[in-house]
Amino acid sequence: MNPKRTMTLNLTDQEMSVLEELSTQKDLSKTALLRQALRLYQMVDSRISRGEKLFFEDSEKQKAELMVL
Amino acid sequence: MREAVHILDCQTGQLAEAEIFDEIGLEHFIETQATWRPLVLEAARGLAANPQQAMLIPRHFHWDWTRKEAELKLLAVKFFGISCAGQLQGIMKIDTVARSCRLPEQQGKPLVYIDYVETAPWNIKLLMEPIGKPQRYRGVGSRLFEAAVLQSEEEGFKGRLGLHSLPGSESFYIKECGMTPVGRDPHKQNLLWCEFTPEQARRYMAGE
Amino acid sequence: MKFNADRKWLERRAEQEDRHLISVGGLISSLDPNCEAEMNTVPKIESTKTAFVRLLQLARRERRLTLERLAEKADVDLAELLKIETDEAFTPSLRTVHQLAAFLDLPAKKLMVLAGLLRVKDPNLQQASVRFAARSEPIGSVSPEEHAALEEYVKFLNER
Repeated sequence: MNPKRTMTLNLTDQEMSVLEELSTQKDLSKTALLRQALRLYQMVDSRISRGEKLFFEDSEKQKAELMVL
Repeated sequence: MREAVHILDCQTGQLAEAEIFDEIGLEHFIETQATWRPLVLEAARGLAANPQQAMLIPRHFHWDWTRKEAELKLLAVKFFGISCAGQLQGIMKIDTVARSCRLPEQQGKPLVYIDYVETAPWNIKLLMEPIGKPQRYRGVGSRLFEAAVLQSEEEGFKGRLGLHSLPGSESFYIKECGMTPVGRDPHKQNLLWCEFTPEQARRYMAGE
Repeated sequence: MKFNADRKWLERRAEQEDRHLISVGGLISSLDPNCEAEMNTVPKIESTKTAFVRLLQLARRERRLTLERLAEKADVDLAELLKIETDEAFTPSLRTVHQLAAFLDLPAKKLMVLAGLLRVKDPNLQQASVRFAARSEPIGSVSPEEHAALEEYVKFLNER
């Protein structure tokens, strides 16, 4: 296993509430959820840096671009 | 990560000491192309001789070095290799953010997606038999599949797994492994999406 | 990670595995039974295809163009351009290669060979293509080494 480092996170009440809600929803610990978030961010960023674009498509097949920097 | 595991040596019928590791570099991919590809092509010609087997003919694998290199740096992507007797015997790529569960009872929950798993051609009985070459090791793919389940548990995904099964392997994943066939994916050439619930993963690992 | 140490478990899983082709993606795929031609020409296509993609990428980066801008300027389909850059097995249309050749000022016939649209036995082209592909990187700003590699390769393509 990779050695891990500890970090303290200061979150607002609202942020903490979202974190807890998502953790429950996804059946994940808060740490695991934040880890997923970081992976997703890096993956999206990596592809956008390569010139790709990220879109959301609604139920009517309308595409809206999601800008992530 | 390096873990000792056993696979089966076809020649001796005994257990062989192998190693599963996650430090995969570009040199491992180069190795698969140099040593696996010629034998796969040879086996393909062997299969072509039998019309029933023809549907199993390997297709050109799309090697995009640029993508592989970029992916090696992503946290979401993890590669596993299994080596024995100083040679790479199998390789697997999983992704922890690409897909999530589609089964209604676990909809939206994260899973480990097996993007690809590949055993060296000399370990595949169905490829070696038609060309009269001996199979070297058995159980390689199963060990990689097992590693995917273990990784899912380590991530906190409780063994949840997902993959797109190729037409020839559907019964393997559904009947033998016990995965649930969810549906054909129009975005992935209509391949069958198969999923593990935590209970199914537990049963697979326990050999039930 | 704790792998199952029970031999019977392994034997059973191995026996199940032996009866199927369980590779997902990768070298073993049962999607296309009619790939006889692919099987015979695969090694040749690879090096020149990679060089084709790298050539496009570098040429695009030299001109500081996004895929979108290149599509606009060369008058080609953006989706196809994206496919060229991300799917090594994808063969672009004749028109697209022709348009790109015109825009990038490269010999069209050569480019078609590289793209896999024309089959020509040319070991020199292959060698040069492999060297070029190895010396170039797909992302980031163009380094002096890459610039030199690109110049050399373009010169080679134009010469013969």
